[in-house]
Amino acid sequence: MLTEQSAYTNRWRKVSPVAKGFFSLCGTIAAFAAGSPRTALLIALILAAATIRGAGIPPLRYLRVAAPALLFLAASCLSLVFSLDFGGTTGGAALYPAVAEFPRIAQVCCRSLACLTALLFLSLTTPLPDIITLLRHCKLPDTLLDLMVLCYRTLFVLSEAVHETITAQSARLGYASFRLSLRSLGSLLANLTVQVWQRSQALHLAALARNNDGALRFLESSHANASKSISIAAGAGAVMIALAVALP
Amino acid sequence: MSDSILKLEDVCYRYADGTRALDGCSLAIRRGARTAVLGANGAGKTTMFLHLNGILRPTAGQVLCEGTPLDYSRHGMRRLRSRVGMVFQNPDSQLFSASVREDISFGPMNLGLEEAAVRQRVEEALCAVGMADSADKPVHNLSYGQKKRVCIAGVLAMQPEIVVLDEPMAGLDAAMQDELTTILEKLHSGGMTIVVATHDLDFAYGWADESVVMDAGRLLAHGPPAEILRQKEVQSTLGAAPLVEEITRSLSLIGIDLRAKGYLPRSKKELLKAISDYAIQEGKP
Repeated sequence: MLTEQSAYTNRWRKVSPVAKGFFSLCGTIAAFAAGSPRTALLIALILAAATIRGAGIPPLRYLRVAAPALLFLAASCLSLVFSLDFGGTTGGAALYPAVAEFPRIAQVCCRSLACLTALLFLSLTTPLPDIITLLRHCKLPDTLLDLMVLCYRTLFVLSEAVHETITAQSARLGYASFRLSLRSLGSLLANLTVQVWQRSQALHLAALARNNDGALRFLESSHANASKSISIAAGAGAVMIALAVALP
Repeated sequence: MSDSILKLEDVCYRYADGTRALDGCSLAIRRGARTAVLGANGAGKTTMFLHLNGILRPTAGQVLCEGTPLDYSRHGMRRLRSRVGMVFQNPDSQLFSASVREDISFGPMNLGLEEAAVRQRVEEALCAVGMADSADKPVHNLSYGQKKRVCIAGVLAMQPEIVVLDEPMAGLDAAMQDELTTILEKLHSGGMTIVVATHDLDFAYGWADESVVMDAGRLLAHGPPAEILRQKEVQSTLGAAPLVEEITRSLSLIGIDLRAKGYLPRSKKELLKAISDYAIQEGKP
């Protein structure tokens, strides 16, 4: 929900999603173009600064959103740092730090961090309906995008249903003990399955009533000064890539 | 031009599980009228509404639009659904997009209109339901009443001649009900035919031009609310009488006969005015 909140309330909410998507893509390219971990870190910093200072995302919220991905990244980097050796003199497995690979590991980790900040830039500044519009421009298959539209909407409807059911179950001591909790969770899942089926039927009827015959078609949101925003994003993105290429 | 815009002739409908939801239902919806459909849960109101929009097809009998039986082909349904808009009871079951503006555009886009025309219709529909300020909000951040208004806007953007609303007042507080009544009034004054399913007898009594009472898939009564909702049989089926009607009747028992003086109040406001006028006439200001 933090991502959602930021996407709808940030300073660049009204900026064209094409511009933001382009800047994010340039960030990713710059991350891959970076020749050293230091340059990749600089790119990550630029992207994080653009998100925090430019779009006005509070730093603490930024860190809270980034935390799970950062933890995952840290775990992945640690797994790269240590290597398992099965061919030791003792015949058993040995864990040792792959010192020789440190520069490459640092490069991969910093590059991943820069890519992460590029994605965070897009997701924290652009609401999902705008991202779907952007993907539609990129000619992604309609079926996939329709699924995204429905999943995104259903996510909130079902999370409300889950919340209501858990509250009702708790009010009747549904989670008073471990055994009861398991039982309540089971009935929650069964209830949700039925609800999903019923809601999909209701959505189908609602779509028919509004003359739908297959693909979900919506009006694309319009953004003032879109071409100016795209030009600025392209310029800033080009500078970022140039920086990544030029720096050692 | 025929006076009835939609007509059900002896319509029967049986669901796959064998439930007989409609049983020989005949009804004519008058053009430009405000029709309230009343009945207990399971009386067949929603099933009847789904027939009006062509979503369900009668197992017996027929539905006519302007005297012509409905054409259930793809093209026929497209034409019917652009004329008959349907607003379902639960807003969360009919809002597709997480964006208010996008969701309202869904119907007009399905009609194959040009982007500029869709944009204009969406803005008009947003203004008609008083949601222009919330157009850029995500749907999940709206209140229940606001979601209902978005649903109505989604149908209005298709510019139908008839709007069918399934229990639009359900779950709304008094203020929101008043707002919704104002919206319905505005639509009606613009010439739209409105059909509403409701459990709110007082609303039906005060708002509708015609009331339809259903019971166990059958049409029990059809006519002006001031006539129909005063019938003992109807009141016993619905389990209640309109409050204004009961007060008027009770007042007559203590000698204040508003009807004898020519007052036929149908809403709280009209009743209070009638009592006040009566008191002035009787020299009791």
